[in-house]
Amino acid sequence: MIFELQVVFGLIALLGALSAALIRDSYGKLIALGILVSGVLPFIVDRGYLDVAIAAALIAPISTIFVLMAVRRAEP
Amino acid sequence: MIALYVVAAIAVFAAVRAILERNTGRRFPHANVLNFAVAGSLVLLLDHPITLVAAAAYFVGSTLEANAIASTYAGGVKR
Amino acid sequence: MLGELLHILAAAIISWILFVAVDIFFKLPETGGVVGATAIARDIEAGGGDLAGGTMMGNIVCSPDASAGTLLAACGVYVAGIPGGLAAATLVFIGNRICHDPGYAGTTGAILATFVIYGFTLVGFAASDFIAGMVIAILTIQGLSHTHASRLLGRLWRVRE
Repeated sequence: MIFELQVVFGLIALLGALSAALIRDSYGKLIALGILVSGVLPFIVDRGYLDVAIAAALIAPISTIFVLMAVRRAEP
Repeated sequence: MIALYVVAAIAVFAAVRAILERNTGRRFPHANVLNFAVAGSLVLLLDHPITLVAAAAYFVGSTLEANAIASTYAGGVKR
Repeated sequence: MLGELLHILAAAIISWILFVAVDIFFKLPETGGVVGATAIARDIEAGGGDLAGGTMMGNIVCSPDASAGTLLAACGVYVAGIPGGLAAATLVFIGNRICHDPGYAGTTGAILATFVIYGFTLVGFAASDFIAGMVIAILTIQGLSHTHASRLLGRLWRVRE
């Protein structure tokens, strides 16, 4: 990949990780986890591991739904 | 090649806006712009037929994720 | 360099008109398809926006509609021509069914966009211009200013009514 694009997508992944650590609101934390996954995925596709990319893209929302059950039980 | 730079610039802009936004309900549209930009950049990075399946799987997965988070945020029953 | 940028801008305007027309034709601003769409519309209205436009933006977030169809059709035409676009329409339909949506708007938008984009590739546009143009178009709706975008969509919706 071109160097500038590596910087851009790495920046997105780092921003997602930092904000997932710093944001207090639980829904904001889950959105930040989505940003983290979207920053990591272009690196997987760029190497040509398309099956890994499909599996990661399908597993990430399922894990988010599992975390949401815990959020719903803790909040009401 | 310019298309890839444009899409990457929009992706980082949308990520910064999504993180800096204070209201939870208004975070979702910014995150949606990020999903569009990343799904487009996946196809532009690697020109192979299965990349289309990967981009569609990523897009549908992230839309389902946003749907589930928004439904729980609304307080309704998750359908 | 400059010519390619102009092509991207023209593609952005074309795909903006295409997906807003299909979405408003299928009555997306009328009701929220799922509970989350109405919650997003409520928050946008609390920030000074319009309720009908906010509902349409919430529907775009919560299920793949004509905008997603246009983007994936552009990707399909870029990868494999017209068969790629029709395969993208099938994938959008499956995604719609996963997200509890009837799926007419997304599938119609994808099939329509496939032929429009293929027609423009014969004139001299590249399919990658349409991918970047679609991302710019969705940025103007969802990313810049929610208040102004929802007011514009609400005004278009009242014209259609």
